[in-house]
Amino acid sequence: MATSIAVSRFESDQSPLQALQIVPGILLLALVGYAGKFLEKFLNTYAKAHHWTFPNIEYVLWAILIGLVISNVLTMPKIFQSGIATYEFWLKVGIVLLGSRFVLADVLKLGGISLALVVVEISLSLLLMHFLGRAFKLPPKLTSLLAVGSSICGVSAIIAAKGAIDADDEDSTFAISAILALGALALFTFPLIGHGLHLSDNVFGLWAGLGVDNTAEATATGALYSDAAGKIAVLAKTARNAMIGFVVLAYAIYWAKRGQAGAVTNKAAFLWNKFPKFVLGFLLISLLVSFHTFTKDQVASLGNLSKWAFLLTFAGVGLRTNLREMSKQGLRPFVVGALGEVLIAALTFGLVLGANRIWGL
Amino acid sequence: MASKISENRHRFKLALDTWAVILALALALMVRAGIFKKIPW
Repeated sequence: MATSIAVSRFESDQSPLQALQIVPGILLLALVGYAGKFLEKFLNTYAKAHHWTFPNIEYVLWAILIGLVISNVLTMPKIFQSGIATYEFWLKVGIVLLGSRFVLADVLKLGGISLALVVVEISLSLLLMHFLGRAFKLPPKLTSLLAVGSSICGVSAIIAAKGAIDADDEDSTFAISAILALGALALFTFPLIGHGLHLSDNVFGLWAGLGVDNTAEATATGALYSDAAGKIAVLAKTARNAMIGFVVLAYAIYWAKRGQAGAVTNKAAFLWNKFPKFVLGFLLISLLVSFHTFTKDQVASLGNLSKWAFLLTFAGVGLRTNLREMSKQGLRPFVVGALGEVLIAALTFGLVLGANRIWGL
Repeated sequence: MASKISENRHRFKLALDTWAVILALALALMVRAGIFKKIPW
């Protein structure tokens, strides 16, 4: 069941009639997202009119909270499920369009710093998760999946690695549930820590992009802090996502050598197959903006389109998080994941502070 | 015959990632062409 919630993915080869099944879920995403946006504006206006001191709660948080309430208090009718699963698709559309808010020089500078930090973060996270997996006597393939999920990009990386290393469905369900539960926790803890430490938008965004596993949660965590932090979180997370092919390939070769997975015959095709194409789309839009292909107003419109796409994503993050189902998945993988995440969060925080001191983010 | 059709269909099947890029680029093109004048937030 958890698999159907966590991994229910929108397939691109559906017939037109099947494709219609996603409409109710997309409408629900739009409704929940817009309700979040409406609540932010309404509460701010109301508080101001009545001279109340009320904290500005961003639409991102409202959309996630409304989604969480719906998915955990009500029983989600089946008719909505395939449409809700499209939130990942909207996330990728939003990331590509967000490329319009970066000129190439920014991408090269911040993306270069992110990439350098990503390499260190991935290496240390993989080592750490393997150490914890061994210490807690988790099955080796489950440890591999947790390591891939927590070092690169959550659910997508686990799904990519599952096929490549022939892991069990049960192991991937455990790993996905742990990563999603921890992502949900990060959503609320990272911004609190960031505000407590008065981190700048750049530092927080980089930390969220490097420290939060799933792309949707990393984007939401950054956006919860501020619009600018959300932008940087997406850039850092995109650099991390770009590494998915290399790490999954290394695991595929490792398990194939042990005779427990199919051999990789064409490494270049494998890498291309696993490479997230939205990274290329993001770079292309950024390149077009850098060469002034769009006017200033058009760039603003592209940025707003990206925000609308993210709005559907944030609603989806809340709607697909079913805490009851996650709690059924057993404690050990969750404890290993949680320990790993806390250490990775501390490690990435140290890395970002170091980078800030060296390069002045 | 049926398997050939399904094979062809499989060959032209695009990943979701690619569809997301196509949609985003199509939207960007429509903004560039002035079909969408101003997207509000």
